[in-house]
Amino acid sequence: MMVLLVSVTVLLVIISAAQILKIAELSAISKGVKVYEISEKDNRVQAVLMLVFLVFYFSFFAWQYLKWSHLMLPVSASEHGVGVDSLMNVTWLFIIPVFIITHILLFWFAFKYAFKANRKAVFFSHSNKLELVWTLVPSLALTVLILYGLNNWNKIMTPVNSEEDHVLIELLGQQFSWGARYAGDDKKLGRANVNYIEGANFMGIDSTDNNCKDDIVVKGEFHIPVNVPVQFVMRSNDVLHSAYMPHFRAQMNCVPGMKTQFNFVPTITSKEMKKITNNENFEYLLLCNKICGAAHYNMQMNIVVESKEDYAKWLSSQKKFGSSLPNPSEGGALVETQK
Amino acid sequence: MASITLQDLNTKAEIRKKTAKPLLWIGIVSIVMFFSGWTSAVIVSKGGNGNWLNIELPFAFSLSTIIIVLSSLLFHYGLISIKKDNKKMLKLAVSLTLVLGLLFVVSQFYGWKELYSNGIVATGSSSTNASSFIYLITVFHVLHLLAGIISLIVVSVKSYKEKYNSTNFLGVEVSIIYWHFLGALWIYLFLFLKYIA
Amino acid sequence: MSTHHHHDQDFLFKYVFSQDHKMISKQFLITGFIMGFIGLIMSTLFRLQLGWPGESFWIIDKLLGSWAENGVMAPDKYLALVTMHGTIMVFFLLTAGLSGTFSNLLIPLQIGARDMASGFLNMLSFWFFFLSSVIMLISLGVEGGAASAGWTIYPPLSALPQAIPGSGLGMTLWLVAMALFIVGSLLGSLNYIVTILNLRTKGMSMTRLPLTIWAFLLTAIIGVVSFPVLLSAALLLIFDRGFGTSFYLSDIYIGGQVLEHNGGSPILFEHLFWFLGHPEVYIVLLPALGITSEIISTMTRKPIFGYRAMIGSMVAIAFLSTIVWGHHMFVTGMNPFLGAVFTFTTLLIAIPSAVKVFNYLTTLWKGNIKFSPATLFSIGLVSTFISGGLTGLILGDSALDINVHDTYFVVGHFHIVMGLSAIFGMFAGVYHWFPKLFGRMMNNKIGQLHFWITIVCAYGIFFPMHFLGLAGVPRRYYTNSEFPLFDNLLDINVLISTFAIIIAFGQLLFLYNFVFSALRGPKAPQNPWDSNSLEWTAPVEHIHGNWYGDIPEVYRWPYDYSKVDENGEYIGGKDFIPQTTPLYDNETDEAH
Ligand code: HEM
Ligand SMILES: [Cu+2]
Ligand SMILES: [Cu+2]
Repeated sequence: MMVLLVSVTVLLVIISAAQILKIAELSAISKGVKVYEISEKDNRVQAVLMLVFLVFYFSFFAWQYLKWSHLMLPVSASEHGVGVDSLMNVTWLFIIPVFIITHILLFWFAFKYAFKANRKAVFFSHSNKLELVWTLVPSLALTVLILYGLNNWNKIMTPVNSEEDHVLIELLGQQFSWGARYAGDDKKLGRANVNYIEGANFMGIDSTDNNCKDDIVVKGEFHIPVNVPVQFVMRSNDVLHSAYMPHFRAQMNCVPGMKTQFNFVPTITSKEMKKITNNENFEYLLLCNKICGAAHYNMQMNIVVESKEDYAKWLSSQKKFGSSLPNPSEGGALVETQK
Repeated sequence: MASITLQDLNTKAEIRKKTAKPLLWIGIVSIVMFFSGWTSAVIVSKGGNGNWLNIELPFAFSLSTIIIVLSSLLFHYGLISIKKDNKKMLKLAVSLTLVLGLLFVVSQFYGWKELYSNGIVATGSSSTNASSFIYLITVFHVLHLLAGIISLIVVSVKSYKEKYNSTNFLGVEVSIIYWHFLGALWIYLFLFLKYIA
Repeated sequence: MSTHHHHDQDFLFKYVFSQDHKMISKQFLITGFIMGFIGLIMSTLFRLQLGWPGESFWIIDKLLGSWAENGVMAPDKYLALVTMHGTIMVFFLLTAGLSGTFSNLLIPLQIGARDMASGFLNMLSFWFFFLSSVIMLISLGVEGGAASAGWTIYPPLSALPQAIPGSGLGMTLWLVAMALFIVGSLLGSLNYIVTILNLRTKGMSMTRLPLTIWAFLLTAIIGVVSFPVLLSAALLLIFDRGFGTSFYLSDIYIGGQVLEHNGGSPILFEHLFWFLGHPEVYIVLLPALGITSEIISTMTRKPIFGYRAMIGSMVAIAFLSTIVWGHHMFVTGMNPFLGAVFTFTTLLIAIPSAVKVFNYLTTLWKGNIKFSPATLFSIGLVSTFISGGLTGLILGDSALDINVHDTYFVVGHFHIVMGLSAIFGMFAGVYHWFPKLFGRMMNNKIGQLHFWITIVCAYGIFFPMHFLGLAGVPRRYYTNSEFPLFDNLLDINVLISTFAIIIAFGQLLFLYNFVFSALRGPKAPQNPWDSNSLEWTAPVEHIHGNWYGDIPEVYRWPYDYSKVDENGEYIGGKDFIPQTTPLYDNETDEAH
């Protein structure tokens, strides 16, 4: 009822405001007032408003920064993320000064050169020198950014060397939950495909593939050891999803019919992060970041980063895929593994 | 504004004269982009697919190629004739082109029939992307060709009514540009499907 | 002109099936604005949900009906609203509404042509657009709801009704509407290009064209090159949805079933879509840049600085825009080398953009600025173009994009650089050329108020979104309340939504000003802004053929404002010299 009243009031106010405006305008027009002319005084007011706006805009920026910067993502919890963060900071160092200087120029000029009847504008139609300057200077700045950026990018996208000690995990997205599968002792993921999905085997693991016997499937939460490279392989059962792990500066889409990959080295355990963020309830998260249906907004999995020992303990307490099969000997022939 | 004056008609004709061909050319650009969307799609699909099926094109498609080249040559001969005010030759050339155009469509149908009888189907579970693309691309080429056939019908009716002469043959020119384009497009698609897809 | 005999028949051909570019322009404008207001209302509704998640609203209950039980919208219907909002804003308001209106109005008038190359195709172009708008709106009411897969309609979500209800009939209608839209837009573009290239009046060389015309030309060229590719992508999707092909689909298990589709890839769709999708950003933006260049020059009483560099940078932007699409796909698993190439091409676009910004600034420098609402919105555009463009350096950098891709950072970025810039350009154009559109003038004071409310709220809405993004909030989320991680961010969302409500009401000022002025505003003088370009020599009332008698001849470029001789006196005695004025003896031609 309250809302209804408010809405009706708002509507009435709008209608009457429109009526008043209309009457005022009609009478002005009939008196010959040129409602489209900008008087010098009016022009002055607008010019001053330009400066007011400049101040407002910068203060708003500063206010947001002061009020919200502590809500931003905490320090990167992965090795490459540190590089990403410093690249980000360098980029801000380019962006913010340009933002500030150009805005000062823009609104200052607008204020300063507001119309005066006795002044002439300066006929200045081009200057090759100036134009060359503002082609070359941005080009140089961009060269730096591009080189720095691509250097990071190439490092990030290089997969983990399979000789190296690492953890191999497959992430599977489906409407609307995640599953994670560990490759197990053989460091090989058994073959999987949607055709094998049945009952609890939501990841579609092919039980005839011997590589799958020691695979470990978990839901709801997965663990990774600190300071060990983690190689992720992403898959999807149905539509596109995106495995987004913001604290690790990591993201990769999950594409049905295709395997994608990403890797990082976690550097801060969950426990340490709780301290850093001053938040007892802090958890690393895996979110879905590609529109995937009605419950896209609620498709999450917790990530626990812990010491190597704790991780090993946790892993050994998990059930192996082979042990859930009805008859382990049934599979028979060794099938060559997929890469 | 209400009534159209003679002067209006003159400007209209003049505008048409100046712009008919450029309009067509840019239309052609957009059709080219449309098909290059699909041919690049074929390349992308093929690249991402380990078991891409290489399909042997039916013989009828080669026949179609010959037909459409012949038709273009004939039509061009018609244009040369009308430039020399030879109305009779134009009639003959245009109607033959029309017949060849229709033959092209028939030949394409035979091509699809042949594909189909070889078990290559456009949709459903036994189709593959390679087979779907072949049908899709060739069918949409024929759809564009139908517009060409309509223009040929118009041009031949007008040439039988002797509407064209050595100073007025814009309609023929426009129609011929499109027809040549359809031929060139087909040759490109044919070679693409044969050697790249 | 002559007396009217068949009045009723005239009405139909004058207002409905008109082939006159000025009438078609108004048709585009009004249809575009109606769609725009619908898009705006949608955004206000879903902002209510984001600001106060799960709370019941009377207005949502009334407007959304079965989409919102007890006044709380359903999660999939939230996505339907977002999808339709994006589609409507990008295509219907800012492609057809902006480019359609001003290309149609200004091309013949500013180049000195009687009309478009083909009035008939032009009329068809509008009617395709209109039909497409109607179908798009109808799709809101069908079973399962409107398309809900985002305006980018990525398959498989958009291909499978099992995946989300909106991918049923709603999606089909979306595709049909877009196919019609593309045809309409192509017909329009054909006409614009050919008209500009072939029907310029005597003396109107390419280097004497106003920048508006250059912008429309390049926009149309990008359109002709990229829209057909979207059509080809949409057709493949239609076949996948209805005819059992598998261009985009493979290995899918949904609704307890394995689908028969095999061998395709959604990535293919992304490539084809973004081959249009990125140029589309510039289809939206370039006309706004052209419009504001023209306005800023006129209202500062100065020539636009670096006319040739402005053209050059627009050409560069147009060209580069077709080879950067991959920056939307850095995290799709594409080859990292390709990713590097796309980073390179993307960041290159910053160079011509920077040139444009500095040229705008130099044009303002030592001008004599009159703050009409059009001027204000043009200055606003320079601000949004800078503010939004700069964050593009982050998104275009593949290494940085990993962590902000698809977050609210992106939403903030593209609304400012594309949404606001284009909208500001459109408002500026309407205020400036209203006298040409309706033969009447708009009210300045209301226009100025409209500007200040709009720019303050617009930044109030979109600036904080960058912070949300940096906190890791993904876009297209029905609510952020499912994650403890985001609990502290609710304040930001409340602030954004509050501004969103105010801005929506602020647009009523414009609506009022527009409608009132079109009907009862004071009659327009011949050349209200003392402008040089050709359209102001045409009679205020709309006549067929644009000029009585011969089309005027052009002798100079359109930017001879405040040109002085050696003694510092205005050449010609005034601070502007229209293009139709022959060169004076003591004068050199700027457009050498
Ligand atoms: C005051 C006006 C506007 C408000 C409050 C607004 C708000 C929003 C918000 C909050 C989203 C993100 C929703 C989500 O990801 O869950 C969104 C999406 C979007 N908006 Fe706006 N917007 C406005 C105007 C515009 C304009 C002028 C454009 C024109 C370019 C535009 C284009 C888009 C597009 C393309 C999307 C993406 C849709 C998608 O994710 O599929 N919006 N809008
Ligand atoms: Cu999702
Ligand atoms: Cu882009």
